[in-house]
Amino acid sequence: MIKAMRTELLKIRTTRLPMGFLALAVGLTALVAGIESAGAGGASSMAIPSLSTAGGLRDVLASTGFALLVAAVFGATVSSGEFRHQTATDTYLDEPDRVRVLIAKSVVAAGVGLVFGLAAAATAIGIGLGFVVAKGYEVAVPGATIGRFAAGTIVASGLLAATGVGLGSLIRTQTAAIIAVFAWGFVVEQIVGGLFTSIAPYLPYTAAAMMAGVTSGGGMPQVPSEASPLPFGAAAGLLAGLSVVISALAARTSVRRDVS
Amino acid sequence: MPLIEVRGLTKRFGGVAAVEDLSFAVEPGTVTGLLGPNGAGKTTTLRMLLGLVEPTVGVATIDRMPYRDLANRSHRVGAVLENASFHPGRTVRDHLRVRARGGGVGPTRVDAVTDLLGLAEAADHLTGSLSLGERQRLGLAAALLGDPEILILDEPANGLDPEGVRWLRTFLRGLGQDGRTVLVSSHNLSEVAQTVDGVVVLDRGRLVARSSLEELMAGGRETVRVRAARAEELRDALEADGGRVRLVADDRLEIGGLSVERIGTLAGELSIPLFEISTETPSLEDVFLRLTARQEATS
Repeated sequence: MIKAMRTELLKIRTTRLPMGFLALAVGLTALVAGIESAGAGGASSMAIPSLSTAGGLRDVLASTGFALLVAAVFGATVSSGEFRHQTATDTYLDEPDRVRVLIAKSVVAAGVGLVFGLAAAATAIGIGLGFVVAKGYEVAVPGATIGRFAAGTIVASGLLAATGVGLGSLIRTQTAAIIAVFAWGFVVEQIVGGLFTSIAPYLPYTAAAMMAGVTSGGGMPQVPSEASPLPFGAAAGLLAGLSVVISALAARTSVRRDVS
Repeated sequence: MPLIEVRGLTKRFGGVAAVEDLSFAVEPGTVTGLLGPNGAGKTTTLRMLLGLVEPTVGVATIDRMPYRDLANRSHRVGAVLENASFHPGRTVRDHLRVRARGGGVGPTRVDAVTDLLGLAEAADHLTGSLSLGERQRLGLAAALLGDPEILILDEPANGLDPEGVRWLRTFLRGLGQDGRTVLVSSHNLSEVAQTVDGVVVLDRGRLVARSSLEELMAGGRETVRVRAARAEELRDALEADGGRVRLVADDRLEIGGLSVERIGTLAGELSIPLFEISTETPSLEDVFLRLTARQEATS
């Protein structure tokens, strides 16, 4: 397993893919955090409350929703890319145990996802606190809360990346896998979560977003305002369980298919 | 003891049989051509041998066990398969580093195979920018990373220019002289005829010949061409003697199944003057085409 994981890590390190996704995660987080910070406390209906308030600063610190989606897309790209670029043949020649390959990919993608989450959280915190300091406000959100949002972003990002690997292995067609991630986040969860608020915290993107403290949209998928977040451990367990279930489904179906 | 063995191998995709009850063996230290026209089942057979495609029926083994159960796989078997490719955003060197790590091969082999396959100058190029010939060389370089005793190559000459084909032929001959066991597929007999010790010929998923090249040639039927007076009378006599005769012009016959001596004797007995008599031995390519065409005619 160690050899398989080292191989998967080397595969990721030797393309520009992770740097591109990292730039996307940081860039989108910076865009949302920057726009929200700049307009905070303004008259616009889209404006968040002033950064001098806990609500306003909290919104900026939790501008990491897109980064979570980027992590999931990254995971899906890593696994489905083997079929897009027809490299699966070589991969399975070197390691015929396909389930071992799937697990190795999931673990490595989760590790990279953690880095995306860390970078996104640092970006949101840096921009939010930067504006607070520049405007001479007090930091209205306790340090423990900031730390919890950051930890939520990091853990959720890693787990969504692993879930993406399972999804990409299940679907195999890269474009379809990426569309599935966005459709799930922007359409399915919005409809289901909006209609059934009580189950919204159990939906994967919503659970991940709430771990990261996301409450509003800012262009990101909305989290129902009435929904109560699951405890941190329960949300992490839900995402980890989902990753295992999707990967197990892939292992029993598409991963077994002939590679021709 | 065969090193590669295929027994009763069948693969059906839906209702279509890509490979049907195929059996053959490859002895150690030989270079064997797996030949057949496009769609004959060569690639599917090789993929079943390497555990990438699950047989519907039958077994394919390397050293008496399925590929996936082999220990030190990279040192035992190297493979280049059609429809396999490289990540276009990875350099040649990095591709080989990934394959080396995946196969448990030390990184020093990367430079060794890069030099061996003449890829040193392209080592830092992205694989997406390589020419077809360079891509074939890269595939071979990856297959040789573990310095394997067995090589399985699927249409390695595909897309190569004549110079590339000549290079490949020399390269394969060198592998054979090293004592490696090579199973190489091709739809073009001439590409491998000078390299292989024996051939397995497939058509429509079925085995149509398994022999050495010499045996294959010996099985090719000689045709005798005759220009004679009273050609129709001679035709009737030759057919009565068991020959397969075709009247190609008023005074010309093509005869199979009878020797020159027998034809001359029969013509003499009937006092039919012969103006010209010659034999035509089919080329290896003719034999190959006849084998596969015969299958087509009967299927």
